[in-house]
Amino acid sequence: MADVPLFELRGISKEFPGVKALDDVSFEIRAGEVHMLVGENGAGKSTLMKILCGAYRADRGSFFSNGEPVAIEDASATRKFGIAVIFQDFTLVPFLNIAQNIFLGREFASRVPGLIDRRRIYAEAKRVLDGIGFDIDPHEPVHRLGVAQQQMVEIAKALSQDARILVMDEPTAALSDRETELLFAMIARLKAKGVAIIYISHRLSEVFALGDRITVLRDGRKIASLLPKETTPDQLVTLMVGRPVDTTYTRPQRPTPGAVVLDVKNLSGPSGFSDINLTVRAGEIVGLSGLVGSGRSEVARAIFGADRVTAGEIRLFGEPIGESIEASTRGGMALIPENRKTQGLALSRSVGDNIVLAGLRKMFPTGIFVPRRALKAARAVIDKLRIATPTPRRPVATLSGGNQQKVVIGKWLNAEARFFIFDEPTRGIDVGAKSEIFRLLDGLVHNGAAVLMISSEQIEIVHICDRAYVMRSGRIAGELAHHELTEANIVRLGIHQ
Amino acid sequence: MNAQGFTLASLPISRVPGVAIVLVVLCVFFGLTSPGFTTPANIANILSQSTILLLLALPMTVIIMTEGLDLSIGAVLTFASIMLAVTVLATGSVTLAFLAALAVGLCFGLGNGVLIAAFDIPPFITTLGTLGIAQGLSLLVTDGQSVVGIPPSIEHIYSGTVAGIPWPIVIAALAYLVTYVLLHHTRFGTYVFALGGNREALRVASISVRGMLVRVYAFGGVMAGFAALLMTARLNSAHPTAGIGMEFDAIAAVAVGGTSFERGNGWLLGTLLGVIALGVLRDGLNLLAVPSSTQVACIGALVIIALFIDGLRSQR
Repeated sequence: MADVPLFELRGISKEFPGVKALDDVSFEIRAGEVHMLVGENGAGKSTLMKILCGAYRADRGSFFSNGEPVAIEDASATRKFGIAVIFQDFTLVPFLNIAQNIFLGREFASRVPGLIDRRRIYAEAKRVLDGIGFDIDPHEPVHRLGVAQQQMVEIAKALSQDARILVMDEPTAALSDRETELLFAMIARLKAKGVAIIYISHRLSEVFALGDRITVLRDGRKIASLLPKETTPDQLVTLMVGRPVDTTYTRPQRPTPGAVVLDVKNLSGPSGFSDINLTVRAGEIVGLSGLVGSGRSEVARAIFGADRVTAGEIRLFGEPIGESIEASTRGGMALIPENRKTQGLALSRSVGDNIVLAGLRKMFPTGIFVPRRALKAARAVIDKLRIATPTPRRPVATLSGGNQQKVVIGKWLNAEARFFIFDEPTRGIDVGAKSEIFRLLDGLVHNGAAVLMISSEQIEIVHICDRAYVMRSGRIAGELAHHELTEANIVRLGIHQ
Repeated sequence: MNAQGFTLASLPISRVPGVAIVLVVLCVFFGLTSPGFTTPANIANILSQSTILLLLALPMTVIIMTEGLDLSIGAVLTFASIMLAVTVLATGSVTLAFLAALAVGLCFGLGNGVLIAAFDIPPFITTLGTLGIAQGLSLLVTDGQSVVGIPPSIEHIYSGTVAGIPWPIVIAALAYLVTYVLLHHTRFGTYVFALGGNREALRVASISVRGMLVRVYAFGGVMAGFAALLMTARLNSAHPTAGIGMEFDAIAAVAVGGTSFERGNGWLLGTLLGVIALGVLRDGLNLLAVPSSTQVACIGALVIIALFIDGLRSQR
């Protein structure tokens, strides 16, 4: 029995348009084991887990439960095999209490027809909570619990449904040190009960402290599956990085950086970053790297004036700005957001309308809109950026991802922006169009603009940027000059050692 | 009602809610300014008059907990009242007439629910539409006239007593009890909290969100049917414009009572207090001979003040 895995995935492949997310990945999980799944952003960890829990269907591959071949067609199938994913807060109802949440949809009937037996729900919930050593009153409403306690309620909910395999995706990301200790103690108790745990983590200390086995994914492929004692943190980092370089674009010679455009000093904010110091000069592309959730986007939003800050100073061309998008844009700042469809574009409007949107105040200071002038300005931008659209009147939604991104950039060019923040500029853009976006970035800095670029793809940062800051847990973990800018250095700074 | 002790203890309110403060302030103010306010007859009058509103505000609380809204509830009450009167005049049967009122409520409630759940039409739009339909049908059936001449047995439902307690109070107390039990002791109620708090949780538990929504709005329609009975009995006739603005009062009572319009946080006792606060306000202003147009403005102000007090406290 001991050598038959509780659950096994064999030869899993999954393709999304333009991306091979998983390529022939095999993975197994045994009772009483904590199996660590590590890899860079975009390595395929989340896709693999979504296939395991039935949210995605694999293109190829097979599944085995206790050695028997099985099929996973939808989310209900995985419950049958005892697989449960611990979401951070996706399945809890805030104004129901712990017991009601644990047994949501499985309420015990009372002897009075139509009513539920609340006393039995509490008794059973207490039993489940005691079983995992979670000492709390099941009458407590969930909205009063902290993140860690909510997580434990999720675990209790899963176990009450006879889950034997728990999937945890970065469970400590939102926890304090004390809460993390509680979670680790809980995991130890679950292991002792024979529960298997798949644990996705970016923190190497956790990987070595908890893991019974470590599987490394990279670019959708399984690179290694090894025991903690066989490896070292440094070796793991080496296994995780080393993605192939995109050879379709070579970075041209850059001008010598000019005056400081953006100067951020000791910036802290309530959205989870503190003591941020960074500068960007004219003619420079500076990277802001770090793992998802390290605070990159939050810093960018704060610099742009979209979020509140609690301390520190932001200067643009020497002028102090902050907490006001209006001041930022008037000073010549532009944010090209990660999600252009919801944050960057008025999707139902035309290409032309979108292009003139941010520059309306400068173009029409009297407040009266002159369609002919707007159309002319839009045409100029379309020509300059070579946006593939037959006419500025075309709805922007009909354009490809790459061309939509150009419209967002063009919008700010038209508004005469001189400092650009790009948040994941190549997200959702196919490979061919990527190099064109890079060429655009290069064109911007050649004309004296300054660029701050956020990317989860370390290789892009290495490839495009003149230097980079790496964030970790809301702080700048380090700055890498051009000659130090390698993928391994970024990952080393970005993950917890 | 010992169930209320449980409600207080299980809710996130270790503080005096805004609605209680508002109610006390109103009572003290009117007690001092209008001599007739504190007489037992007046207090009984306030409570009796509040019963119709309570019958609408209870389901409105449930609906708002699901992040929904029912604007049609006053117009449905009107149309149900008209059909009740028309049926009793045509058949002479009070039972049939009462069933007709309930059927009208149920049909409109189901209609609202199906449109919202199956066709994803926002509750605001759906119930605005059915408000128009119900109002139009009331005018169509009556030709804009009142329906009079209904038998005194119906009027007795409003003026009569059982064991010394007026019938409307008995009916309202039962309605409160039923809604309370529904909300806190049945699957239906548990899922109402989830509809507003986290629909994903229901989907994960394989519970039909749509089916639940239909039931929630059907509940609202049926309660409007019961309210129609009290309304017809009180007026001893049916008026095609009698329920106009009742949805405003119902929503105001729920809001004053502290039910939040998001995350599925509802408080039934708060709604009860909110309904009484509105009743006290109207009654007190009547005693002070304030015109009814000004009363509506005062109710609007009351909503804002109560929510302002709650807002101040949650910021702290």
